[in-house]
Amino acid sequence: MKLFGADNLARFSGIYVLGLFILIFSLWVPATFLTVTTLKSVLGDQAITLILALGLLVPLAAGQFDLSVAQNLGLAAIVCGALQTRTGLGWPECAAIAIACGALVGAANGGLILFGVDSFIATLGMSSILLAFTTLVSRNEFVGPLSEGFQKAASAEPLGFPIVTLYALLGAAVLWWLLEHTPIGRRTYATGANRDAARLAGVRTARHTFLAMVICGAVAALAGVLVAAKVGQVAPTLGPPYLLPAFAACFLGTTQIKVGRFNVLGTVVAIYLLAVGVKGLQLAGGELWVTEMFNGVALVGAVTVAVFGNKRRNRRLKAETERA
Amino acid sequence: MWAADATAPSATVSLSLEGVSKVFQGQRALDDVDLELRRGEIHALLGPNGSGKSTLIKILAGYHRPEPGWSASMHGRPFELGAPAGAPGAHFIHQDLGLVGDLDVVDNLALDGGYEGSWWLSGRRERRRARAALDAFGIDVAVEEPINGLPRAQQTMIAIARALSAGVGEGALLVLDEPTVALSAAQVRRLFEVVRQVRDAGGTVLWVTHRLGEVFALAERVTVLRDGRRVATVPTGELDHDRLVELIVGRPLDAFYPEPPPVGDAPIALEVRELGGGTVADVSLDVRAGEIVGVTGLVGSGHEDLLHLIFGADRPRRGAVWVDGAPVGRGGPARSIAAGLAFAPADRKRLSAILDWTLAENLTLPAIPSSGPAHWIGARRERAETLAWLERAEVVPPEPEKLFSALSGGNQQKLVLARWLRRRARVFLLEEPTNGVDMGSKQAIYEALSDAAREGAAVLMTSQDPEELCAVCDRVFVLRDGRVGVELERARLSEDRIVAETLRSNGEAEGEGR
Repeated sequence: MKLFGADNLARFSGIYVLGLFILIFSLWVPATFLTVTTLKSVLGDQAITLILALGLLVPLAAGQFDLSVAQNLGLAAIVCGALQTRTGLGWPECAAIAIACGALVGAANGGLILFGVDSFIATLGMSSILLAFTTLVSRNEFVGPLSEGFQKAASAEPLGFPIVTLYALLGAAVLWWLLEHTPIGRRTYATGANRDAARLAGVRTARHTFLAMVICGAVAALAGVLVAAKVGQVAPTLGPPYLLPAFAACFLGTTQIKVGRFNVLGTVVAIYLLAVGVKGLQLAGGELWVTEMFNGVALVGAVTVAVFGNKRRNRRLKAETERA
Repeated sequence: MWAADATAPSATVSLSLEGVSKVFQGQRALDDVDLELRRGEIHALLGPNGSGKSTLIKILAGYHRPEPGWSASMHGRPFELGAPAGAPGAHFIHQDLGLVGDLDVVDNLALDGGYEGSWWLSGRRERRRARAALDAFGIDVAVEEPINGLPRAQQTMIAIARALSAGVGEGALLVLDEPTVALSAAQVRRLFEVVRQVRDAGGTVLWVTHRLGEVFALAERVTVLRDGRRVATVPTGELDHDRLVELIVGRPLDAFYPEPPPVGDAPIALEVRELGGGTVADVSLDVRAGEIVGVTGLVGSGHEDLLHLIFGADRPRRGAVWVDGAPVGRGGPARSIAAGLAFAPADRKRLSAILDWTLAENLTLPAIPSSGPAHWIGARRERAETLAWLERAEVVPPEPEKLFSALSGGNQQKLVLARWLRRRARVFLLEEPTNGVDMGSKQAIYEALSDAAREGAAVLMTSQDPEELCAVCDRVFVLRDGRVGVELERARLSEDRIVAETLRSNGEAEGEGR
């Protein structure tokens, strides 16, 4: 393996570009970009998206979509907030109930998929149902303010480091181990790569599909609880804006580190690559639409480049096979 | 070139290629190959995988451009080799058939020029035309069926009908790339008839195959390729079976098929009772430890579904399976594997393995090596273990990080076998284990099977190749209409016998043998 061969250059291109971004913005807007505030804001703002993307990674690895993740996050935040303000339950109980609800939503998605409904349709419908529940529970009003003890769980800064970022990175480490270094993860990927072949090799594909949807639901709800704690006052429209960034991170992640597979490290790189780019442009005087434009262009651009790379690799492979 | 050439009038030559070479990534796939086909001739093209057959066909079809230095002519008229239109007047039936799986038979036939010159697409007119094209070759299928829902054999016949529907008359060239891979004996004979019609009408047929029986039954002359070079072009009348194998493999073969190990009174490893489902109505059979048992039959007789049902890949309607005396139950493949069953399906690309995964990942999938309380998969350990198995199974190249899709058919099959040998399976269920596999790999696969049998495993394999069944198996079950028609013991095994018993099911009228 060559260290700087074309393949490795592509695998780590995200990290190179990240370095390039940091360099450019350091030269362009040194006064505002190279500050602790900026670092904290980049790390902290992306923690929730990263946790949601990590949850989403599991069903994607198993070959299923979950379009209901963002609304699941929104519902969990509302449920957690409503329970706290309207009942006498302590915040840990409320959080646990909200996460259990999220897992239940995942189980419902999983059940539909096992029944034979296409995951794209099943979760699209589910996200509409969850939106209805969110409106129902919130009565279309802000829920809050939430207790200080609860808010502390997400806003503490041990050693000046945002604690949600710590949660997210811890979550990334756990998922990296689970997906990429245990038999369960390997079988999940096998389920996503070729369901029939995996089943004939002894993988219980139905079980892995169901489990993936449940994990995704629970993690999305966990992210929702953390958002609620972070903002202290939950808006009924909290969920949907998280959808595109989470999917973008996962798909952009497939162009990094383990090219062609949904993978944890690639997703982490993708999240921070996007965050640094957006932050830098904002500091350099970019307008409001810059964020969405940048996210969209980066996703489409990177995936297009990856498709080109794949085509080239496939051509090479084909030539090799024909020779053999 | 051989001597007869000098005297043959050039009018009888249809396709003539000279000095065709092709280099892929610095490696020579074809090296200065000449090929001359005559009008009214069936010409067989033989050679192990990697010998350049496919490359040559693809150059003819216009998928690849040859290296400079070639010359090509058809009926004496030069043409541009490697141009996208392909050789003039040539019709191709490639291995993957080129049918659109989601469309029905009618649409697939119409795709080949059927839409030209009409403003209004009339479903009835197309159906009528499709029916006529299929009837011309005696193919009996429901034309509204989507291609995916049809057995492979019928798909092949439809592809052939499509290629020929435009009319292959005098001066045409029909190229078939391993067309009989999924066909039953009766369909093979049907195809032979069709191909002979083409020849008798003055056409030329280039027949690419691995099956030697076909060469002698059909071809007037045979060209053998090895390592990208032409080894010989010989009239089949001057050859016998052993001589042809020697030409292909490049060395004399003392024992191509290993001796089956003696079985005696070994305990029963696989017991199948009253199993039914799909095309299987009711099958009961036993396989003893150390035994290699074959299953064959016509298309639709049940042999395509039997192993799927035994393994639990398809849910049986009735019946039960025991391994070493213990019932397997109905937990699907995972349960069957735990009970000691192993399955290598015929559809290698879709079912046997994950194409874009590495050899290591594919090899270890049924039993992933992990260690410690964290169930950690160590890359180094997995690599080392894979390497040992790749070498043991003679997989070429023995590189654990190589993608499965980069292997040749034979090596893919060796890897699938290695996967189950590693799992120490008690019973191997193999569907058409040597389909599309070159001579050298075939031998390695036979040896791996007889090694496994010698160590006490039971092997149950389906095959459409009577020659292979005779050579490898201790017993052969011939299925008819979803039931065991006859069980042939070792002493009664012969190719003719197998063919005759296979054909009996569809009435004696067809059973002329070949």
